[in-house]
Amino acid sequence: MSDVDTAGGVRRVRSVLQAASGGISRTKLLLVPLLLFDLLVFVAPMGYLLRISLAERSVGGGALQRGTWSLDGYQYLSDSSVVTTVFTWTMLFAVVATLLAVGIGTLYAYAAWRASGATRTVLLAGVVMSMFTTLVVKVFAARVMLSPEGVVNDTLLAAGVLDSSLLLVNNEIGVLIGQLYVVLPYTVLAVYSVLTGLDESLVEAANDLGATPVRAVREVVLPHAVPGMAVGGVIAFAWSAGAFAAPLLLGSTSERTVAVEVQNLLSQFNYPAAAALAVVLTTVVLVVLTLGIVLLRRRGGLRDV
Amino acid sequence: MCGVRTVVELDGVRVEYGELVAVRDLSLSVRDGELFCLLGPSGCGKTTTLRTIAGFESPDTGQVVLDGRTVTSLAPYARDCATVFQDWALFPNKTVIENVAFGQKMAGVGKAKRRDQARDHLDTVEMGDYEDTRPAELSGGQKQRIALARALAVDPDVLLLDEPLSNLDKRLRETMQLEIKDIQERLNTPMVYVTHDQEEAFTLADRIGVMNNGRLMQVGDPETVYDDPVDEFVESFLGNSNFLSGRVVGSGADRRDTARRAVTVEFPGVGAQIQIATESGLTPGDDLTASVRPEILELSPSPGETPTSPDGGTQEGTAERRADVEPDTTNRMALTGAVSDVVYRGSSIRYQVDIDTGEGAELSVERSVTRAPDLSTGDRVELSWDTAAVYYFGPDGARVRV
Repeated sequence: MSDVDTAGGVRRVRSVLQAASGGISRTKLLLVPLLLFDLLVFVAPMGYLLRISLAERSVGGGALQRGTWSLDGYQYLSDSSVVTTVFTWTMLFAVVATLLAVGIGTLYAYAAWRASGATRTVLLAGVVMSMFTTLVVKVFAARVMLSPEGVVNDTLLAAGVLDSSLLLVNNEIGVLIGQLYVVLPYTVLAVYSVLTGLDESLVEAANDLGATPVRAVREVVLPHAVPGMAVGGVIAFAWSAGAFAAPLLLGSTSERTVAVEVQNLLSQFNYPAAAALAVVLTTVVLVVLTLGIVLLRRRGGLRDV
Repeated sequence: MCGVRTVVELDGVRVEYGELVAVRDLSLSVRDGELFCLLGPSGCGKTTTLRTIAGFESPDTGQVVLDGRTVTSLAPYARDCATVFQDWALFPNKTVIENVAFGQKMAGVGKAKRRDQARDHLDTVEMGDYEDTRPAELSGGQKQRIALARALAVDPDVLLLDEPLSNLDKRLRETMQLEIKDIQERLNTPMVYVTHDQEEAFTLADRIGVMNNGRLMQVGDPETVYDDPVDEFVESFLGNSNFLSGRVVGSGADRRDTARRAVTVEFPGVGAQIQIATESGLTPGDDLTASVRPEILELSPSPGETPTSPDGGTQEGTAERRADVEPDTTNRMALTGAVSDVVYRGSSIRYQVDIDTGEGAELSVERSVTRAPDLSTGDRVELSWDTAAVYYFGPDGARVRV
């Protein structure tokens, strides 16, 4: 009885929905909540940020003058040589970190894929567990490890590999290691997830037809891994371009990233300039990623995506 | 040594996976130009044997020799053989022609040359029109052809095929079998073909190796293996024979041949007792299995309700007389029973006959539709056969020759 009622009710609701949507198909209707969510968490804040970047800076107290329009924020950015240097350094840092993350992450994911049983579990667990802690704790742990009196230097000195300690913090090496520590798990998992879809018999077939293990990787595994490497690269680049914790805790004043500079501007109550810098960074990241994806697709690497 | 070159030689190969022994002490040799079928049920070690030849498995003991070269410890890419995989394993991100040219690319052949060669091989498998197609757009049969062309393109010493047709439907499978046979005869490439399908093995093979439980049970050309099985397993796997289990109840010296012994065997399932003369030392109490193939069975409607001896043959003195058993001087065994099931199978009809002993013994007979007797379920029938055409297997499964 109740089944019949429910079925009838569902049919009624469906017909009402169909009537309401007019020509729009039900599938498209299902996208509405997603679009609303997007609007709320991405479009609205970014729009607000854009608006702030176009406001006038307040002269007496307060961060900005509401309701005013001005390009002062952007003017400030182009006038300040500090901002230009920071921006260049950030982009360079993001590119290097991305290349390293994708390279190391792919190797690691391939090793995990080839491994079996316990080895595979340990390799993957290591990656996943490092994601359980917060960014700051992770980066701080890196600092403890890398500092002149840290574990790494102590071990190397004790083993006689080094005569004096290496400077691994408060410089670009420290920032890079810290940032890799943050983004590597994501690239590893992105590549590993596509590798699980690779039929191992393809590698065997390549070996069987005369491909050495290295050639088999190049001919069969890498083409298959490209979509995962692209996704991992996108995550690594976006995250590294906006790096904050690693440069702050492991770098010095010369390893200042855009995010650190935004924070710096905010502390000077220069909201329009801070917002303008954030808008420029977001735009550049989006443009770089779009270009990257277009290039990959033209090359045919992303056919399956 | 004697004219025919051996291209694959396995010598005492044993492959273990932890506790499990997949292949035990297997030796075989494949001759140049022949199509050798490894036939056996799933899990019998035939695929492992093939993978050992290809180099994907390394044997725990024994040697693999390819074309006179010991390759036991060589990696797959260093061996001159090519495999056609069960799931074809075509490279999805490469076009058909790139797939076929892959082996030559690895061998360092220039692009134009290897493409020309690949085109020839595509023509061999009649896939010339699909050069730039991707594997995902091909049907199963087409993928099969590409996989074959790709393996042939490296001009291997031996081509290894691992149940290549098992993912195809029956009709396509039969067409492809003939094509593979045709290509094999044309190119004269030696092939090792793994299958679990005895019909496929009989269609294709020059020689068959029957495997069970990691062992090679028998090797021979199809006729020999079928007509002269050495083992109960081979007999049961190759045909749809009727097996009757019996027990030796008496033995004595044969009056005519002193090397043999006359053995009396009782088959309780059909209520029959027979005498056979054999050189094997069967003693009373031993189990003996008789295989009665459907093709030697005569099936006719029963002449009357009471079983009669058609030619009034004399009884053997030792054979205990039973109501419906008629072993006579011409060594024919006759049983009566009732048809329990008639199965229509298109070109043939299969009859299941319940033997009148109450022991539940059932024999099956298959007849082509054109010469099938008009029988239906419940009809009384007489089954008879020549006892000399029956195969006997001893307690250890080995053939007992009579």
